[in-house]
Amino acid sequence: MLRASAAIERAGFPTVSIVSTGFLKQAEVVARGLGIDDLKIAHYPGTPMVDGSDELQRKVADELLPQIIEGLTSRRAGERKAEAREPAPREIVSRGTLDQVNDHFYDAMWTDGLPVFPPTLAHIERFLRFTDRAPDEVIGVCPPDNREATVWNIAVTGVMAGCRAEYMPLLVAVVEAVTDPEFRMQDAGSTPGWEPLITISGPIATQLDFNSGASVMRIGRRANSTLGRFLRLILRNMAGFRFAPGAGDKGSIAQNFFVALAENEEACSDIGWPPYSADRGFKPGDNIVTVQSVVSVSPPLYTGSDDPVEHARVLAEVVGQSCSYWSPVAMAYAKNNPLIVMGPSIAKVFADHGWRKDDIRQYLYDNIWIAADDAERYAYYIGLTGFRLRDQVAKGLLPPDYCASDDPKRRVRVFLNPESIGIVIAGDPGRNQSKCYCSNHTQGPPVSRKVALPQNWDELLPRR
Amino acid sequence: MSEQEPQYEVVWPLGNSHWDKRDLNPGLADLNGKTVAEVWDRVFRGEEIFPALRAALKKKYPRVRFVEYDTFGDTHGVNQKQVLADMPALLRQHEVDAVISGVGA
Repeated sequence: MLRASAAIERAGFPTVSIVSTGFLKQAEVVARGLGIDDLKIAHYPGTPMVDGSDELQRKVADELLPQIIEGLTSRRAGERKAEAREPAPREIVSRGTLDQVNDHFYDAMWTDGLPVFPPTLAHIERFLRFTDRAPDEVIGVCPPDNREATVWNIAVTGVMAGCRAEYMPLLVAVVEAVTDPEFRMQDAGSTPGWEPLITISGPIATQLDFNSGASVMRIGRRANSTLGRFLRLILRNMAGFRFAPGAGDKGSIAQNFFVALAENEEACSDIGWPPYSADRGFKPGDNIVTVQSVVSVSPPLYTGSDDPVEHARVLAEVVGQSCSYWSPVAMAYAKNNPLIVMGPSIAKVFADHGWRKDDIRQYLYDNIWIAADDAERYAYYIGLTGFRLRDQVAKGLLPPDYCASDDPKRRVRVFLNPESIGIVIAGDPGRNQSKCYCSNHTQGPPVSRKVALPQNWDELLPRR
Repeated sequence: MSEQEPQYEVVWPLGNSHWDKRDLNPGLADLNGKTVAEVWDRVFRGEEIFPALRAALKKKYPRVRFVEYDTFGDTHGVNQKQVLADMPALLRQHEVDAVISGVGA
């Protein structure tokens, strides 16, 4: 909302923005990143979503009104705060023991709460050997704090996260993906508390020792774990998503970072299915990173039988239970990208009976529904108080069958189209489990980037 | 004899700020006779807050005029980019003097 206010202020119109208590600290970070840190705010005290109508009217009259008037009428020149000088990239900001460096970084809110590797010049230089790009090249800008992610500070962050130097090409590709405007990094601190999930495709997963088998989503393998941690540190330090005593991260309850997910491409190949990278438009065998939001995870989803329809039926039931509550948000923003991580044994049953990934996608699309009045009710409570299915259909954002009748109990589809359902083969090959990772609509749709390896990659890779 | 702990010299982990700074626009001397636009991101009960504000402002400034939020589209919706791109021209077209933007952060 402040992005709109800033754009309007830049267009020459005095603006005052209504912000409820819970968003005031975040507003400071957003306004600073937008270049107008003194944007006028009218503070709505408390949480509008739990106020009765009378209380809301009272707060508008007693609290908002005077601030709105003040914000539009009394402005002084030169209210902007002076900026403190910030260090240069190679400038030493701290000297000390491991404990002292970590205390300094923790106090400055530059860590994720876990100890970090000290980013020394020598350690950073080792990372830079694994890219042909110049250290000062800006890979992207990270909103809302709008700091530049350069090759240099990507390496710094990789060191801090505990990555190995040879992960550097992946680190750069991940930052390229999340700074693509389509990803909407600026929304990574929204109240649902979604986390980005990185998926690794291609031979680099094996070269760098990623786990794609049992416990694939568990912390424990250095490549998977530190790559996920790296991205959380980027969000914290470049984009400014910190919670109290910091600001910017508004995740109401939120969740921890995900370890990076590597696909079991051998299992795909064995059953004749294309890897996830091919679904994303790349050649099988390309080294690809894909990053998408995950707002919630289904229960472990066990399906059994040698009949693919039975697997599909249970998948639809449990994926439906997991994703339907959140689907009105996707309907509001016309985007939904659930990701199903499917155990290799289940994929094999489908493939043995001639099913392709598209057949599974179509089955899920056709068989997962929510009642229309539940969709509108859930949307309202989430805060989308202006959401009506009828309006979305009228705007062409949803197909007409979402309003096929006036029956409030009519069923509407949870997923907007079959194509946007992702399927990755990973996990324990000796068990029959899948999981569904629900996305957060336009916030963090899947964005992929090809990994650029340095020219002498094979020589550089350590022999282990 | 105690063993000397290794010492580390470390660099700053943040990136340069990419902030295009600017000052606020001058405020209005009086809202009477002025046109105030409402822009809304379709969340957090703006459909109740804006009408209540409109009524309260009108009571205090009888000659204030409003351009209501339906004129401008959803500032946080699917078409956010286009809505924001179109906004300055639309505000000028409606001869707007000031804007109230809501609701959230």
